[in-house]
Amino acid sequence: MTFEFVTIEVMSAYLLENPVVLIFTIFATVAVFLYLREYNLRKKFESADQKTLDEFRQKGLEAFHQSIKKSQNILGEAELEGVKVVADTRFATSKMEQDYEKNLQAIVAQSQQAITAAQNQFLEFIQSLQLKSRQFEDISLKKGEERINRMFGTLESNLSDFLVSSEQKTLSSIELELKAARNLIENYKEQQLKLIDENIIAMMEQTLNIVLAKKLSLKDQIDLVYEALERAKLEKFVV
Amino acid sequence: MDTLSILLQTTCSLLSLKYRLRILRSHFNQIFFSPAESEQLTPDDLAWLNSLPKPFLEQFNQNNLSQIMTDLENNISKLQVLILYLPFEVNDRIVEQIGQKTRIIFSQLLLLDIKYDPSLIAGCALVWKGILRDYSLKAKIEQEKAQILESFKKYLR
Repeated sequence: MTFEFVTIEVMSAYLLENPVVLIFTIFATVAVFLYLREYNLRKKFESADQKTLDEFRQKGLEAFHQSIKKSQNILGEAELEGVKVVADTRFATSKMEQDYEKNLQAIVAQSQQAITAAQNQFLEFIQSLQLKSRQFEDISLKKGEERINRMFGTLESNLSDFLVSSEQKTLSSIELELKAARNLIENYKEQQLKLIDENIIAMMEQTLNIVLAKKLSLKDQIDLVYEALERAKLEKFVV
Repeated sequence: MDTLSILLQTTCSLLSLKYRLRILRSHFNQIFFSPAESEQLTPDDLAWLNSLPKPFLEQFNQNNLSQIMTDLENNISKLQVLILYLPFEVNDRIVEQIGQKTRIIFSQLLLLDIKYDPSLIAGCALVWKGILRDYSLKAKIEQEKAQILESFKKYLR
């Protein structure tokens, strides 16, 4: 105690000597006081709140339990209703299935009848088609034979005409060639004969020239000139 | 009678006419322009000169000689000439003889231009105004060619 008193004394003395520290200490003390007061108040409020909350929780839990109970009741009723609905549904479904099966069987029977009828019709159609095809084949065969016969006939006729015309052309060509050859030979013969004739005349003229130059006197020559002049006068050449 | 006619009366061929015209010019040139020189003429030329009539010779003088000669040459070039092809060669005498005979036959002063063509054999060919008429033996042979050849071919067979 003595020590505490001494310390307080020391501190009081120190604080009195330093006003700033004193003021600060006062402020700190006030602040601690205020803090403690606030803490206590909060503590009080928190305990009141907790109490209120507990009450509310209790009430809530009760409400919740009631709700669960009601829900379970509702659920039970719903399950009951569900079972009823399922039972009804099953009944309706089985009935519908039966109806459907009946209808389906009827439809299947109708379809089978229709298919059988269609098959019959199809077979008849196929048979008629085969018949028509055979008829068409026969007609085509006949037509084809006729056409081939006609074509052969035309071909034979054309070939015959072609051969005849070719023969005629060849003959006329040969005749022309022969004619040209004969003309050529004839021309050559004529030219050669003409040449021979000219040579004969030239030889005769030359011979006469040589002979008369020796045998014909100048007087005879001049007489022949006079004779020519007389003829020219008679023909009235010089007028 | 004009100057050219006098010359034509004594000359029958174109060649002779041209030659004599040259003689005449030479003669008068000698007389008029160089009398001192003696003239070189053949006897035939001299005889021809002397045969010309005096009036013809007297018309020439120193002044008109050149003019008359030029006129004569021009007139000769315009004359119609009878061309005569002969198969033999002829001299002046024969030319003159044929010329005279021609003038007698045709009764006109024809001027001849005589040419030599031995291929004619005999006879003659005439050309008058650009037209040829052949009276030679060659032409006769040509005319009778077919008959001659026929007669030859008889022997060939």
